[in-house]
Amino acid sequence: MNFSKIAVGLAASLFLVAASAQDKGGPSDPQIAGIVVAANQIDINAGKLAKARTKNKEVSEFAQRMITDHTAVNKQASALVKKLKVKPVDSATSKSLKSAAGKNVANLKTLKGAAFDKAYTDNEVAYHQQVLDAIDKVLIPSARNAELKDLITKVRPAIAAHLDHAKMIQSSLAKK
Amino acid sequence: MKLRAALVLISIAAFSAAGVHAAGTTHAVRIEGMKFIPERLEVAAGDTVVWTNKDFLPHSVTAREARVESGDLAPNESWRFTARKQGEMPYICRLHPVMKGVLVVK
Repeated sequence: MNFSKIAVGLAASLFLVAASAQDKGGPSDPQIAGIVVAANQIDINAGKLAKARTKNKEVSEFAQRMITDHTAVNKQASALVKKLKVKPVDSATSKSLKSAAGKNVANLKTLKGAAFDKAYTDNEVAYHQQVLDAIDKVLIPSARNAELKDLITKVRPAIAAHLDHAKMIQSSLAKK
Repeated sequence: MKLRAALVLISIAAFSAAGVHAAGTTHAVRIEGMKFIPERLEVAAGDTVVWTNKDFLPHSVTAREARVESGDLAPNESWRFTARKQGEMPYICRLHPVMKGVLVVK
C-alpha cells in the first residue's frame, strides 16, 4: 500500500518533469545536471539502506552494484559540470524526486526480511523505469550542451541494464 | 654430421612453425554500452580472445560452468583468454548479469 503511494509520488515527479518540459521548452542544463545528480544520489542512498538491512545475497549484491555504478555516474557528472562550469541547481523536478525518495526510504525503514526485499526491489524496478522514461522524453531532448547530452546518452544503457537486473531479482524473489 | 645438423634444424623449424600455429589468432571483444560486441564470437581452439572494457563502469567475463572468470575489469582494462576446449561457452558479466555473450570454440 505504501509502495503504491510512493509510485504515485514518483509518477507525479516525472509528470512535473514532462509538464515543465512542455511549458518552458524543457529544464535548463543546470537543472538537468541537478536532476542527474539527485537521481543518482537517491539510488545510492536506497542501496546503502538495502545493504544494511537485507539478508538476501542477491538483493545485497544488487544494492552494492547500485552504490558502485551510480557513484561512478555521479563522478562523471561532477567532472563534466566542473569542466563546463555549470552549477547543478534544484528544480521542482529534483525537489519532487527527493521528496518521493524520502517517502520510499521512510517506508523501507518500517520493513524487514522478505517484505523489505520485495519493497526495495519493486521500487528499484519502478524507479529505473521512471528514470529511463525521463532520460528519453525529457533529459536527452532538453539538454543543450552536447557533452551533457552525450553523458546522459552514455548512461542510458546502464539504467536499462539496472532495470532488467532489478526485474530479474523481482521474479526470483516471487518464486521464493 | 652435416645431415644430422640439417635434420635438427629442420625439426626446430617445424616445431617453431607448429608453435606459431598453436598460438592461434587473437580476437577482440569490446565491452561497451552494457554489451559484449560481438555478442557471439566463433574462434578456433588455441585462439586468444581479448576483452576490453570501454564502459565507464566495471565489468567481468564470467562463465560459471566452464569456471572462467576474468575478475573485475576496470574501465579501459583488458583481459586475455586462450580458448582450449571445443564447444559453446556462454558467459555473462557477473556484475550486470543481464549482459550476455557466447564464445564458440571450433
